[in-house]
Amino acid sequence: MYAEQANKLVLDAKRIQNLPHLPPYAATTVRAVTKEVRDLDREVSNLLAPYSSGSSSTTQSSDGTQQIKSSFSPADDPATACALLVNHLSMRRNKRCLLAYHRMRTDKLEGMCWSGVDVAEIQDASASASGRQSGGGAATSSLSAEEEQYVHQYSDLLAAYKGQWTDIDLTGSLEPPRDIFIDVRVLRDAGEIQTEYGSITLTRNSQFYVRQADVERLIQQGYLQRLS
Amino acid sequence: MDDDISDILASISSSTTPHQTLDLQALTRAWVNERTSPELLPYPTSLIDRVMERLKKQIEKIEDMTDTLDPKANFTLVILQTELERFKFLVRSFLRARIAKIDTYPYHYRTLAQQQPELLSNLEQQYLQSHQALLSAHYHSSFLSTFPANLQKLDDTAGGISMVDKPDEDQAVFCRVLRDAGRVEVQNADATEEIELRRGDVWVLRWSAVKRAVHRGDVELI
Repeated sequence: MYAEQANKLVLDAKRIQNLPHLPPYAATTVRAVTKEVRDLDREVSNLLAPYSSGSSSTTQSSDGTQQIKSSFSPADDPATACALLVNHLSMRRNKRCLLAYHRMRTDKLEGMCWSGVDVAEIQDASASASGRQSGGGAATSSLSAEEEQYVHQYSDLLAAYKGQWTDIDLTGSLEPPRDIFIDVRVLRDAGEIQTEYGSITLTRNSQFYVRQADVERLIQQGYLQRLS
Repeated sequence: MDDDISDILASISSSTTPHQTLDLQALTRAWVNERTSPELLPYPTSLIDRVMERLKKQIEKIEDMTDTLDPKANFTLVILQTELERFKFLVRSFLRARIAKIDTYPYHYRTLAQQQPELLSNLEQQYLQSHQALLSAHYHSSFLSTFPANLQKLDDTAGGISMVDKPDEDQAVFCRVLRDAGRVEVQNADATEEIELRRGDVWVLRWSAVKRAVHRGDVELI
């Protein structure tokens, strides 16, 4: 049935919204939907073929859509007109579904970039997530090759934009700051960090009272835990 | 917060001028407006430049004070740093709110920014352009390239549906009137009515009705 595959993508996108990780890219479904669009397009041209006369049958209008200037008149042959309309709408619907699915995934990836997850970590995390789902088999990245490229380019773009605001860490916490000093517990060894008050060695299970701005990144990356 | 900053300024610099406090007010107001309005507001270039300039000075001052290691300065230092973090938070949250809106309606703002160059800062403009370039390249390499040529566009308006999403201008916003701002039209269930915006009033109105007053600064969102 038309657009059935595309619907799957939309449902998938809806599901992704509430997931903490990114499930594997539905390459097969995407291919099936694009194939459906091509088939529909071919069918449209086949349907219209008998009506087009001469070389000036179709012209490209200013907004890029093809205006059919053939001798075909919908009133004469309602059945064909209906078929054309349905095909046309299905193609557009499929396109929308594909766009929605991809947009959802890229939004998710962008969110990861903003929250300071490393590109390699995104791939690792998604790889292990998909590995777990497929029963721990060969863990492959759940991003498509295009998506991986996109993540790289987007994090570059983000870094460039962020680099213009040197005094403000744009990816910092969006919680209004209450205290400048906070209690943190070290969850993983993070080595030595330099602060304005001297250097601190962060060893596991130790506890510190430090300036929030100094350890913000480490909290995001999961090395430290904030104690309330 | 207003009290904090005027105290600090009074104690550390003799060149206290009220316009610095005004800047904080303006920044806070811009931040609240940006976060509550459904649409992107014009970028306050000069305000942000001034704030960034002062942030830089404040950071230098803090560094100087840390170097001297005067125990008496410690208390002032804590206050200064708290203030600095708060300022940073305001600017960060403000910029992030803008980026979020730009990312939600990229095509809409791209066309809009061509008519109103003051809507976006140069940086935001660059970000928007390159982000869109990335996105469309991604769509193309993922699936669009195999589509028939007449379906490859991303800003199609054919078929009765525009592909370009727009923010909802009729969304309701809470606002407070700062200066008398004349009359605006409001629609109730079956008729339109006019209401007078008087100083100190608080209203729930459609964004489209108060949009112009907010741009003028007569009305603030809350």
